[in-house]
Amino acid sequence: MSGHAAPKKKVSDMKRLWGMSIDLDKCTGCGACQVACSQENNMPIFDDDSDLPKRVVFLDLMKVTNENDKDAKFGEVKVAYLPKMCMQCAGNDPENPHPPCVSVCPVVATDVGDDGVVSQIWSRCIGCRYCQASCPYEARVFHWWKPRYEGSFQEGLNPDVSVSSRGAVVKCTFCSHIWKRERDRMIAKGITDINAVQYTPACVSSCPTGAMKFGDLKDPQSPVYEEKLRRDPRAVRLVHSIDALRDTNPAEYERRMKIKDFPNPKVWYLTSNEWLREKLSGFKKS
Amino acid sequence: MKRLRSLLLFFLPFVVFTYGSFIVFQAACDRAMSVQAEKLLPFNHKSHVTKYDASDCELCHGYYDNGRFKGLPTVGDCKMCHDGNTAKEKAFFKGFKDTDKPWTSWVKQPDLVYFSHMAVMKNTKTARCASCHGDKANSMTTAKIKGKMPMGRCMDCHTSLKISNACTVCHD
Ligand code: SF4
Ligand code: SF4
Repeated sequence: MSGHAAPKKKVSDMKRLWGMSIDLDKCTGCGACQVACSQENNMPIFDDDSDLPKRVVFLDLMKVTNENDKDAKFGEVKVAYLPKMCMQCAGNDPENPHPPCVSVCPVVATDVGDDGVVSQIWSRCIGCRYCQASCPYEARVFHWWKPRYEGSFQEGLNPDVSVSSRGAVVKCTFCSHIWKRERDRMIAKGITDINAVQYTPACVSSCPTGAMKFGDLKDPQSPVYEEKLRRDPRAVRLVHSIDALRDTNPAEYERRMKIKDFPNPKVWYLTSNEWLREKLSGFKKS
Repeated sequence: MKRLRSLLLFFLPFVVFTYGSFIVFQAACDRAMSVQAEKLLPFNHKSHVTKYDASDCELCHGYYDNGRFKGLPTVGDCKMCHDGNTAKEKAFFKGFKDTDKPWTSWVKQPDLVYFSHMAVMKNTKTARCASCHGDKANSMTTAKIKGKMPMGRCMDCHTSLKISNACTVCHD
């Protein structure tokens, strides 16, 4: 991090560490999360959403198949849907959390927050798009055009989320404005401990099958307790092949963790399908 | 002499450009922060505080149940105390509806700021109204007391009180 005088944030100092788990076996691909996210975060609407560089979404519902669609025979294609947003990476140094995007931003427009959520302040962004190139999950989107809202949609914009201007990068922040809203509600009730605030992002509350779970990775009571997820054989993190070494070859795991930065995402996917696990983790058992 | 003139000619565009952009940015900032507020009513804070004993700012500038700050009071709030019987009040209540927006505020924050009065005023470390707004309670006109509220001022307090300065604390 450059020109940044704030004291270093350690993961151990964070009272809360928000994280998410998504059960892909429960996900039906209905797309409610994507709609809820776009609505909540004032995503602009463009005429043609297949125009990829123009399209602006925080949460992308991706379709994953086991084969190349064209070559597969009937009955052999397996399909899963993958809600993919910013993984709120932590980097692998708990003393100095540095996601790939934060380490490259020249103007500290993106930073690690007090609860591990990676913030993105579009007004500070100069649009260099380094972060977009550095993000391993393509979670960041660039506003090539001025956000536009058709018809009465403008009146339905969420007042808690500011609309970015053209030429800035935006991304999912785990709906941190909802956290603030909940904090205000708590203080109004007389509870001033901000670490007691619990909240649910828009995508998670909209999920009809309960596939998405959100909570504190440090809290044993939460549905996404990290220790438990680490031991869960169904859990897999997106393109994080280093995870596979942790149990099979701890020495090599330690060595690689020291010499290379890994994103260390806070979103976990759960699935029992072996083909899907292989595909997601980027690690093929030979 | 000639040299000086050519030097001047060379730098003139830069100076003009810098000055021009300064004016543009200044105007944009002023607009976002409501430096030109409209105050159509000659409101007197001091007389309200003394005469009507409204020493608690929250009487008119209160909160909703969910912790949102109400901001400027509505005409309905005025009617809590003013029954509208005198000729002056009659004229006032006839002339203004809430939808007329009789006045705007000096202290608007741009959209990208999530400022929560609740979090700043009711937390363990609290500010006073006057720390940001100036001595409004003793003001007799609607003139501006304190100017814009640049981010540096928020940061100063946050730093000295050891409150987090992370971006998301105030931005969204
Ligand atoms: S595009 Fe914006 S947020 Fe990304 S690295 Fe550049 S300045 Fe930082
Ligand atoms: S997923 Fe991308 S944008 Fe999100 S924290 Fe990781 S590197 Fe940054």
